[in-house]
Amino acid sequence: MSKFPYGNSALAMLGLAAASGAYLTLNRPSKAKPTLRLWTFAKTHGEAYQQAVPAFVKAHPGVSVEVQIVAGEAVTSRLQAAFWADLDVPDLVEVEISWAGSFFRGPLESIGFLDLTERIHQSGLWERVVQARFAPYTSRGRIFGIPHDVHPVMLAYRRDLVERLGIDVEQLRTWDDFIEVGRRITQPGKRYMIELPDTESSRFEALLFQRDGGYFDEQGQCIMDNEIAVETMKMYVPMVAGRSRIASDLGGGQIFTRAVEDGYFLFLITPDWRSRTIEQDVPRVAGRMALMPLPAVAPGKRRTTTWGGTMIGITRRCQNPDLAWELIMHLYFNREDLAQRFRDTNILPPARDLWDHPAYYEKRPYWSHQPLGALYAKLAPDVPFQYTSPYISLAKAKMSEALIGCVRYYNTYGERGFDGYVRKQLEQSAEEVRRAIRRNPYL
Amino acid sequence: MPYAETRISERVRERRWRAEQIAPYLFVAPFVILFLIFGAYPLAKSFLLSLYITNGPRDVVFVGLDNFRYMFSDPNFWKAVRNTAVFTFWSIVLQIPAGLGLALLLNSPWMRGRNLFRLAFFSPNLVGGVFVGVLFSVLFVPQYGLINRGLHALFGIPLDTRWLADPALVMPALVMTSLWMSVGFHMVYILAGLQSIEKDLYEAALLDGANSWQQFWHVTLPGLRHVLIFLLLISTIGSFQLFELPWVMLGRGPGPDASGLTIVMYLYLNGYVAGDLGYASAVGWTLALGLLVVSLVQLRLTGAWKPRAS
Repeated sequence: MSKFPYGNSALAMLGLAAASGAYLTLNRPSKAKPTLRLWTFAKTHGEAYQQAVPAFVKAHPGVSVEVQIVAGEAVTSRLQAAFWADLDVPDLVEVEISWAGSFFRGPLESIGFLDLTERIHQSGLWERVVQARFAPYTSRGRIFGIPHDVHPVMLAYRRDLVERLGIDVEQLRTWDDFIEVGRRITQPGKRYMIELPDTESSRFEALLFQRDGGYFDEQGQCIMDNEIAVETMKMYVPMVAGRSRIASDLGGGQIFTRAVEDGYFLFLITPDWRSRTIEQDVPRVAGRMALMPLPAVAPGKRRTTTWGGTMIGITRRCQNPDLAWELIMHLYFNREDLAQRFRDTNILPPARDLWDHPAYYEKRPYWSHQPLGALYAKLAPDVPFQYTSPYISLAKAKMSEALIGCVRYYNTYGERGFDGYVRKQLEQSAEEVRRAIRRNPYL
Repeated sequence: MPYAETRISERVRERRWRAEQIAPYLFVAPFVILFLIFGAYPLAKSFLLSLYITNGPRDVVFVGLDNFRYMFSDPNFWKAVRNTAVFTFWSIVLQIPAGLGLALLLNSPWMRGRNLFRLAFFSPNLVGGVFVGVLFSVLFVPQYGLINRGLHALFGIPLDTRWLADPALVMPALVMTSLWMSVGFHMVYILAGLQSIEKDLYEAALLDGANSWQQFWHVTLPGLRHVLIFLLLISTIGSFQLFELPWVMLGRGPGPDASGLTIVMYLYLNGYVAGDLGYASAVGWTLALGLLVVSLVQLRLTGAWKPRAS
């Protein structure tokens, strides 16, 4: 047998290429495409939808639905690339609230999602759903997504420790009450009244929303340096900085578990979705945790806010938008499925007429036998509006920078000149956002 | 010779001559075609894109050099440049000497298990930035993380030191992680360089009465010059392209106070999150040109490149 002229290695590579090519040719993937393809980033959502799909398919003979779980922010970048290239675009997509705005940057007719405004009004969803929840998915007055949730916020707390310390949660009606008690019971390095970060703005923005503040107004104008933001910063920073701080933050995962178990934090800002995370991450404190409404900014004011969220949208490439709409109705508004989903995830659905199901009144042993659903549902109609913009990521980053600057200042100088410093920081941050907005030729 | 035969041989000769003329072009054609499609065209296209504000590839508005003007006046861009430069500086200052030290250690005649150590030091480089990022984000956990526990036991550093949440500590954490990941890579190159230095030179130096330090300074280092210059260049280029390590360690973002924002992350955030591919192209071109200048300066300072005299 004559030798291969380019050596045995090249022969082996050639053989391998030929064999793999032959394998791929003989084992072509099936060309049958599903009628509808849905992307979600949340495993819990994906699993719930996979359970709900068979009933939809049964009611729609000949239709097939594929639910794909696409990890984290990959949804956003893959979807953006898919929209641009017009390739591999799914029919329906769930997008996390902080990323939704990034899809609304161009002219309205170029947005990759279908305008659902008319469908929402004609179907009666506008009246059924907590209207504040449409705001993050609205651009220039048009709605591009259906909210998956409301995410009202409560305070979760270590009931056993709080009782032992003689704190009456009924008396914690305002943030001033809360801070006063916090200063009394906080022991730096050992025990803090509440878990609040000083280097990122997720909890700060929840408190900003509570006061009807935010990053943008309804018209998309940047308002992150208005008087509400100044007042929120002046309340928040002394909680996380300076000698009289009452808050700390250690991050997530195992450290969070240990911190709650050890009583390092007594109170936690807890939207409905996080109540489930706490149950899973800190199972050893079952029966010793409880929930209470958020303290108000002033007596009689709002006792909740909102943190997080998800929308579902129909893409422009969808061949059958009516069917996609029906699938959304099935997945997002099926009474029995949602009740079961609430039991699994603790997430309250956005339609008010669904909250009278007995599932929401079930007493939860983990939460000291409180009716978790009813507690959140009571606060849900009052969640504040949060408006979005394509520049929401930039605004959040700038707010975090302003927060860090204010924390540093407060740690060094305390109250002296703090008001002026806060205003200057927020103005600078807002101006950078406005500068970026001014460059956008489409808005 | 009959006329017909003469004509045929001329034709054959002419055909052969033509084939010989064309052959080199045919040989280089596959590369040239692929380069034009996947190299030159994207480069030219990205340069053109850098003159537009875009929303994806379809909605484009010509703005001339405004993307560059905006970039140079954006504090975030300068923050990214500063962070990247600091990371590059510390990476080079720590990684190359540490790699040299390890290589000298493994090159010692008394060293046993050389191959095992070589593999052990090199292996972090094989697993990639994402894996290393995930691993170190666990090690850096406050209160219960291994690094804080170790530092607390050794130096009394507070257990709740927040490496990845304190803007002042993010860069040291990134540099430490990168050091662990890349030191083996440098070591392998330097080890190869050490083994290529002529033994006669050491013997000659010994005969001249040179001590160990003098041998290192006058024989080893000059012998490693080309390897060290190569490592300097690729470390600089690699550091300027830093992305995945801070992206993973800081929870897919620039970290507190943008303390982990690098130039490539800035490019990614503008291109793929904000959706302006034109602006991202402007950042990309600025990065490429900046790297070219830095590399030329390094080559000039190390004497590896001398501009031709006029």
